[in-house]
Amino acid sequence: MWKSRKISTNTILLWLYAGFTLFVLLYLTYNSFRTKPDLLSNTFGIPERFTLENYIRLFGEQNFMRYVGNSTLILIGALLLVVVLSSMAAYGLGRFQFRGRNMLTMYFLIGLMFPVQLGIVPIFLLIRSMGLLNTHVSVILILSAGISMPVFLLTVFFARLPKDLYESAKIDGASEWTTFLRVMFPLASPVVFSICIIMSVQIWNQFFVPLLFLNSEANRTIPLLIMKYTSNLMYTMDMAMVASVAATIPVLALFYVLAQRIMDGVSSGGVKG
Amino acid sequence: MAWFRKRPFLWFIAPGLLLYSVFTVYPIFSAIQISLNHWDGIGPMEFVGLANYVELFTSETLLGQFKNALGNSLTIFLLNALAVLPAQLYMAYLIYTEVRGYRFVQAMIFSPQFISTPVIVFMGTLLLDGNIGVFNKLLEAIGLGEYARPWMGLPELGIYIVWLLAAWAGIGVGMIFFLGAMKMISGEVMEAALLDGATFWRRFFSIVLPQLKTTILNMLVLTYIFSMTVFDYSFILGGVSGGIGGSMDVMALFFYRMAFGDNSAVGGTLNTNAMGMGTTIACVMFAIIFVVALIQVAISYRSMEED
Repeated sequence: MWKSRKISTNTILLWLYAGFTLFVLLYLTYNSFRTKPDLLSNTFGIPERFTLENYIRLFGEQNFMRYVGNSTLILIGALLLVVVLSSMAAYGLGRFQFRGRNMLTMYFLIGLMFPVQLGIVPIFLLIRSMGLLNTHVSVILILSAGISMPVFLLTVFFARLPKDLYESAKIDGASEWTTFLRVMFPLASPVVFSICIIMSVQIWNQFFVPLLFLNSEANRTIPLLIMKYTSNLMYTMDMAMVASVAATIPVLALFYVLAQRIMDGVSSGGVKG
Repeated sequence: MAWFRKRPFLWFIAPGLLLYSVFTVYPIFSAIQISLNHWDGIGPMEFVGLANYVELFTSETLLGQFKNALGNSLTIFLLNALAVLPAQLYMAYLIYTEVRGYRFVQAMIFSPQFISTPVIVFMGTLLLDGNIGVFNKLLEAIGLGEYARPWMGLPELGIYIVWLLAAWAGIGVGMIFFLGAMKMISGEVMEAALLDGATFWRRFFSIVLPQLKTTILNMLVLTYIFSMTVFDYSFILGGVSGGIGGSMDVMALFFYRMAFGDNSAVGGTLNTNAMGMGTTIACVMFAIIFVVALIQVAISYRSMEED
């Protein structure tokens, strides 16, 4: 068997590295149950006591759920837009033969080269003139405009589908829309799943765009809240700890449950690129 | 109407095309146009031709910051290309051969991908801080206490800390990409090589690596674009100035500082050319990325043609 079940130095190195990541996560979680004075002056000592006070403060007075709500709203909005727009565009590009199709496909690829930062000044001016500064809509629009990668993956998928599929749907008298909604889009769901995973991570952890466009505390997202805590550790070490845990552990738990599917999805996004 | 009805694909493509054009493509061209003006973002624009570019490359302070930021961004790229990428291949190969506990290892290595940057930086502080850091405690415990340092605050280490954190957070993605590409190799080929007596690493260099050429090239381009545009780590660690003496400054942060920093028209009142100079830097960054990124578009396009 070419697969290696034997434990070698390489295996042990890999375990150590993985163990280190696990340690960091556990260390963070462990510290989130300690009081601030205990954390700062007795960092490595035996904790005086474990407490849920930090969590009570985070979800109570610090209004953590508001930030979760803001992040979730942006995630759902942007994800919906990305999936709808990119699958439609990709279907148009992959299913139909027309003049200029290759040009248009290339045009959609341009976005791969331009990270959002480069155009952010004109985007800022656009959003300002639309009166959308400091709204979630602005962040949703900007993040969902980056559809190059989804359009690319889905165009490849639709172009590969056997022509008979389209033909038989046509013979059944289904309109283009019905064909797309009832037959083609459901077929693409594994690709859509990969796209959702990749985009969700990007959107959920997005830092730059919300930083620029969401000024009022009431609209801000989780990463911005955590930065507020970590920028002044002497005063908010406890909140930084507990907010990090609250923001990280549930997402990771979800990941571990779906790990294999998620990683397969991500890798299928990479191989074709 | 009949013209449209004959072209149903237009209905499918139009909405995405519109949003994509307005918020992804138009801004690039608009940035080029704004970069030819002296403008604070509010008052009237004054056309100055290439004066902003001349200023960027001749003004001592601007050029100094530019060189420093570009140097730091390139440092990140080189470290990623020379250290992270081989590590990703190494990890991917071990997981591909299904070493013991590979599922757990794989999930662990990938998981920082789901952690947002401020939390990653905070974890870095917990490990490397001068007072509360685990690393110094560890040094003390093994009798190397004299080497304890406030690692996160040393200017000479600034950019390496940024790289270290970014590498830890991002190493899993490339690994998964490589793993995906490795899984396309037929198991029979690997089996045959084993029977022919090829060693573990021989199989890697002679069979696996040649199969991965395109994926590696792709990863290099992605890494390059990432290195040129990485922003979060430097901003969170070093603030808008990019750390002590700009030790953590990178291209994207330099751009942000000029366009939206404290003395820009939008953020403050001092600078009268925030938008002009900001877009100029963005256009220079664009040129730096464009050259390399064209390669990737060519690869993507070709792989799509082949299908």
